[in-house]
Amino acid sequence: MKEFNSPIGPYLKYKNSSAKMQINLLIALFPIIIFAFYKNGIIPYLHGTTSFMGMFYPLLFIITPAIACVVAEVIYAKLFLKEEYKTTKDFLKASHGYIPGIFLGLILPINTPISIVILGAFIASIIGKMLFGGFGNNIFNPALVGALFILTAYSLVITNNGGYLNSYELDTIAGATPLTNASNMIEVGSYETLVEPYGNLWDFFLGTIPGAVGETSSLLCLLGFIFLTITRTIKWKISVVYVLTVFVMSSFVGNLNGLGTWFSLFHIFSGGLMFGAVFMATDPVTSPTTPVGQVLYGLFLGILTVLLRFLTPYPEGVLTSILTMNMLIFIIDKIGAKARFTFQSAVMPFLVVWAFVAVVGAMIGNKYQNVDLNPDVDPHYYIVNQTEVLDKVTYVVTQKGYSGAIKGEIVIEKGKVLSMVILEINDDFYPNIESANYIDKLLNEQDSLESVDTISGTTYTSSGLKKMLINTLKDYEVNYGE
Amino acid sequence: MNGVRLPKRKKLSTNKNIYVYNKPKIVYIPLISSNDENITILVKKDDYVFKGSVVGRRKGNYKMPIHSSVSGRVMGFEEHTYLHGEKVKCVVIENDFKEKMENRVTPRTAINKFTKEEFVEKLLNHGVIGQGGGGFPTYAKFNSDKKITTLIINAVECEPYITADFMLFKEKCEEILEAIDAIVEINNIDEAIIATKKSNYTLNKLLMNFLGTYLKIKLLNVPNLYPMGWERALIKEVTGVEYDKLPIEKGIVVINSSTAHSIYEALKLDKPVIERVVTFTGEMLKEPQNVLVKVGTPVSEVIESIGGYKRNKEIVFVAGGPMMGTALPTDDLVVSPNMNCILVLKEIKTVTRTECLRCGKCVKVCPVKLSPVLIRDSLNNIDDLDSYNADRCIECGLCSYICPAKINIRQAVKIGKKKLSERG
Repeated sequence: MKEFNSPIGPYLKYKNSSAKMQINLLIALFPIIIFAFYKNGIIPYLHGTTSFMGMFYPLLFIITPAIACVVAEVIYAKLFLKEEYKTTKDFLKASHGYIPGIFLGLILPINTPISIVILGAFIASIIGKMLFGGFGNNIFNPALVGALFILTAYSLVITNNGGYLNSYELDTIAGATPLTNASNMIEVGSYETLVEPYGNLWDFFLGTIPGAVGETSSLLCLLGFIFLTITRTIKWKISVVYVLTVFVMSSFVGNLNGLGTWFSLFHIFSGGLMFGAVFMATDPVTSPTTPVGQVLYGLFLGILTVLLRFLTPYPEGVLTSILTMNMLIFIIDKIGAKARFTFQSAVMPFLVVWAFVAVVGAMIGNKYQNVDLNPDVDPHYYIVNQTEVLDKVTYVVTQKGYSGAIKGEIVIEKGKVLSMVILEINDDFYPNIESANYIDKLLNEQDSLESVDTISGTTYTSSGLKKMLINTLKDYEVNYGE
Repeated sequence: MNGVRLPKRKKLSTNKNIYVYNKPKIVYIPLISSNDENITILVKKDDYVFKGSVVGRRKGNYKMPIHSSVSGRVMGFEEHTYLHGEKVKCVVIENDFKEKMENRVTPRTAINKFTKEEFVEKLLNHGVIGQGGGGFPTYAKFNSDKKITTLIINAVECEPYITADFMLFKEKCEEILEAIDAIVEINNIDEAIIATKKSNYTLNKLLMNFLGTYLKIKLLNVPNLYPMGWERALIKEVTGVEYDKLPIEKGIVVINSSTAHSIYEALKLDKPVIERVVTFTGEMLKEPQNVLVKVGTPVSEVIESIGGYKRNKEIVFVAGGPMMGTALPTDDLVVSPNMNCILVLKEIKTVTRTECLRCGKCVKVCPVKLSPVLIRDSLNNIDDLDSYNADRCIECGLCSYICPAKINIRQAVKIGKKKLSERG
């Protein structure tokens, strides 16, 4: 009689492993990192807007938070998890700490100061992951927790630094990301105002548009998605349903406003939606495990993203949607598990969600419909209020500026502009305009406004102010002119 | 059905013909039937028993007899390890090598002339049980007033490594077909379907040669997926029918191909189930092969007679197949009628187990549509376990097999299942 060890069966194991899945993820991310380097490093260098060392800044921007995350985890583990992990090596092997760091580097604006990025990496690892019990136990996507922290607490610092635009784009585009641009408009926009400032839809698909460091290229996200689906690394249902939902809902809005398919494509190619759908929403730990749950999750994500994009002033809806839905995984999975036995239990949630898609899509579409799309009228100009006292007409108007609308009060008497006061403005370079006495200049040359030059460095704001005055005079001409 | 293509590893044990090992000095007949140890013992120390004598009978609903596999003197009672890994009381009989039977009958020429009642009685008296591993009394499947329309012969043997059914079918093809034909005629069954794996070319080719003679017997290939041999999955695949508790509700009976051979021997020779083919296989056996052994033979003795282990340490000794089997701490195991495989594998020491990724692969792969990861999360919440239907688990082991974090998730589901059954 012989003695043996008796491990628990089964005694065959599939060759896949957690480590291999993480490596697959890295393989899928590799082209995206290279593209981020190309777009934010090589192109600006070739155009002379950055130095040779500055060319490598994007790589540094991605690697630094990855290292910071690992360091944060090791420190945490050394301090609080002495018993669970005997050696640091074992811990590092099991924890995959660098992944949230890489993601964080890819989803932040390039102009985030590197010290803040490191802080965000610590927040991501410690608060987003380790406090919940480490790898496999976190409720929220760690990278998104870090990104949310940075984007809310330091948005002003980032905007002052140039926001999402890299040094080359700051020179050529002078504006914001496509979605910020879209949300600044009062109406739904047109191909000329939404897409053309950045090129054409191909540029959106390839990713040569302003945006976070690594999430602009829909093409590379698509390739990554195919690779990850073939290697069975991600829950592909989530990505597909998410992108489709956004496509369908923006089609509702587009069709109700007489816009073509380009409008839906614009929405799925911008704002890091593809990147979020492929890499962030499918994070295994923080997404549903049941097939029906995954479909529901994707639907909810799509609806939330569209809602945030169209109905709130915060255009970057992907991050917020995913973090919000992370909280509901537990319930979604319960529905999903029941639906495996009786599909009827999932029918109600599905019907509700689909009704939601239709109703909300139509609602948003209608919201924009009443706006007069008269081509003579500047779509970026809006009259808030106008009062006539004796011959004096006081206008309160808004005009799109650099980021958000500029609000001003203009008083006109007998065709002559008496004063122009700026009530609200969101541009950190506004002092430049004040010091150049630009408004006085406009008032002085009000008869030949078209020939007044804009101020370089604050092109958007200065031309906005000019247009505001021109538009107001036009309106005065129509309503009060002789 | 959800299923997975597993590595086959069947070639290891199909090179040699079935080896007969029928000379154990002492046999230990386990007093257990279908995992039920409520047995009336019918012999006492120093009794002389014949080969085929009844030494015990199950209490309760199914009065299944337990037979002696040798003739000789009862030496007493001892506890030995049974297939499920726990010790079971056994009758110890010293073999006198005379192979004496109480009343030897000459082989019958025709075995299809019995009435249904006689048929059922024969299956009962000769202790025919499901040889695939379940060990359910076969007579009970036929003992029903409901008309049987379809008989499915399960020759799928979907678990890797195991080849006992295949080798027996290959060597005793004519006998098995004769038995199927007899069962069909006796029970007035419309058709019999032999289900084999698509990839089992040898068996499919062999059956093609014979099937022309039997009009009511058909051959049907099923995909090479695990667990295709599971009764519910097989019926769904073959007939498209789903049932609630037992397949007889829909007029379907499934028997294993080796069980069909036991039926043949019971009808033709009045021979009870006292021996069976067991696959002795695995990378750590010197000469893996199928062996015809008497019930009650110590497994260690058989392994020695076929060449023994390749090495004596760092091996895992599994009773049963690689998926459903249990690793045992010793090889003090005795052959029972429902044992189909002994597997000896290398011990893998460096399994890196990580935290659950929540990748959902176990959910996707489960043939019963459970959500193993969620069951594992809610082991302390009995209501959740109930709503997740943890009791439906068939313990096929696919969730543990597929898990990239190498978590023994089936063990967790089994615990959940146990908790539910304890609550009632």
